[in-house]
Amino acid sequence: MRELMRKVVVFFSTIFLLTTMASVSFADGHGKKILFSIKGPGSGNPFWASVTKGAEEEAKKLGVKLILIAPPQEGDVQAQINQVEDQLAKGVDALALAPGDPNAFAPIVDDAIKSGVPVVFVDTKGINEGVTFIGTNNMNGAELAAKFICDKTPKGSDVAILTGIESQSTALLRRDGAIKGFKNCGLNLVATQTAEWDTAKGRSVTESIILKNPNIKAIFASNDNMGLGAMQALKDADMNDVIVVGFDATPDAATSILKGEMTATIAQFSYNMGAYGVKYALELANGGSIDINIDTGTQLVTTANANDFK
Amino acid sequence: MDNKDQEKDSLYLKLIPYFDRYGILLLLLIMIVVMHFLQPDVFLSWRNVTNVFKQISWQSMLALGVFMVIVTAGIDLSVGSIMMLSLMILAIVAKAGAPWFVVAMTPLIAGLICGLINGLGITILRMPHPFIMTLGTLYIFRGTGNLISGGTPISGFTDEVRYLGHGRIDLTWLGLEKSQYLPVSLVLIAIVYIIFWVFMNHTRTGKWIYAIGGNPSAARASGVNVNKILVIVYSLCGFLSGIGALILAGRTDSGYPNAGLQSELDAIAACIIGGASFFGGRGTVLGVFAGVMIMGILRNGLNLMDVSSFWQQVLIGSIIVLAVYIDVLRRDLGTRK
Repeated sequence: MRELMRKVVVFFSTIFLLTTMASVSFADGHGKKILFSIKGPGSGNPFWASVTKGAEEEAKKLGVKLILIAPPQEGDVQAQINQVEDQLAKGVDALALAPGDPNAFAPIVDDAIKSGVPVVFVDTKGINEGVTFIGTNNMNGAELAAKFICDKTPKGSDVAILTGIESQSTALLRRDGAIKGFKNCGLNLVATQTAEWDTAKGRSVTESIILKNPNIKAIFASNDNMGLGAMQALKDADMNDVIVVGFDATPDAATSILKGEMTATIAQFSYNMGAYGVKYALELANGGSIDINIDTGTQLVTTANANDFK
Repeated sequence: MDNKDQEKDSLYLKLIPYFDRYGILLLLLIMIVVMHFLQPDVFLSWRNVTNVFKQISWQSMLALGVFMVIVTAGIDLSVGSIMMLSLMILAIVAKAGAPWFVVAMTPLIAGLICGLINGLGITILRMPHPFIMTLGTLYIFRGTGNLISGGTPISGFTDEVRYLGHGRIDLTWLGLEKSQYLPVSLVLIAIVYIIFWVFMNHTRTGKWIYAIGGNPSAARASGVNVNKILVIVYSLCGFLSGIGALILAGRTDSGYPNAGLQSELDAIAACIIGGASFFGGRGTVLGVFAGVMIMGILRNGLNLMDVSSFWQQVLIGSIIVLAVYIDVLRRDLGTRK
């Protein structure tokens, strides 16, 4: 009986090994091999799901072999590093990378370039010199939100900012963009506090802010989750005319805007990030040259166009 | 030893039990006074005080569950994930259009089942330590929550479902203003904590929970069914996490995938600040409440003062170390008889 089991196991593992080897060698025959490493699984976040879709469709169009990998959980930088290192060791023609931590990835990116694998950063800018960044200009996006708030409120009104996790560049850029926008049009910024991208914390922090600043006229939340939390705090305090502008244009935020709760949000074109990532990585792999900054754009989402983001 | 010294010593000895029991409340009181002086107009206002209770409402449920587990000398790392999974199940059931009482029941049942899985895993699979089982389920429950929801937030619940986390009790009949309402979550905290205080102190099961934490072999020898008690404790812990999910659903009006991320650490911290011991058998329900309040007041106060989140991390960490150091001193005092 035991002997039989062993034979069965050996048989299946041989078949498994043969098929994997076969598939790898066949795949190599088609076009260039591009490694696309994102920060979190598409199933965990609609943002990455859309990046994945853009990358996959572009890869199909261009006929490249796309290896798209994500760590099991967003923010698991060590797992992402391991994945990228392993794939680089196996050999790829170019790397499109959304680094979970730009500093941690710097030496890996340097090594990759040295060994002849060109790199582009997607979504989050790395610290390596001379590497193209493809993504949203978060500062411009936040400034766009601040300008929108300016148009809707009288000069000198009290406004506040909810920031993301303040050790992340995205959070800092959005914060600074909003501060710049508010300053330019003479609004009075009374509080800048983190709610760590989280809905429940967004509500808690807003409860404190509006308690101390009852005359507040608008809140810029650096992502929609916090914006939705802020909305709950405002509703609870019967401050329904306070403007809340978020960032990311999630389906929930779009629904809230259509219901007349949140006022607006900023959309990133995450699909473009996936598509451009593949396109420009391929261009580098073919020996071409590309711009150092490629903006995937931002767009204001209000009741007028929120239906497209539901 | 002369007479005077002896008198002084006996005074100490008399004070020790009180200090032991209420020392943590003293720390809480000091914090409240300090915050009041730093934010005199705001901190003790009706709205801010109710805000604090609303903000700690769901954490206080997790902490209470983890506390019972810690009393048995165990640990539950999965409470944040149980809460998230229960919340996601609630959101899906709500989205499917189930009547509100079904929706409100689902997180409680889901939490209870998750806790039951933990308890059965620890006892039947004979895991060497609850740390391992609950570390495993930390991943399993969160992963399951992501799988069933596709990892995207699901928003929009009815007022009945949101009642515990969002409801308010009007107090205008007491002559108070309309803004001076009582949050339902505050009443809920009081009710749940009183029930569990009675359960832990005045029922046989409660006393056994302390017994198996303090000395498991003695408890076994005196005929306590240790495994049964453990399953009950972990199930109740899951159930409380389910209540946390229901509160959070009310507060945020949304089932979102990052809910309760790392909140197991906050819950453990609250228990430790409140005087529970990792070696089991020690700690009080009142202490846990004080621990939750201390963390809640610290966060609220620092937010009011516009202090950066990095300072908040440093300060919360420091409070944990300080509280346990006071505990160590307290026990030194107790043994120097």
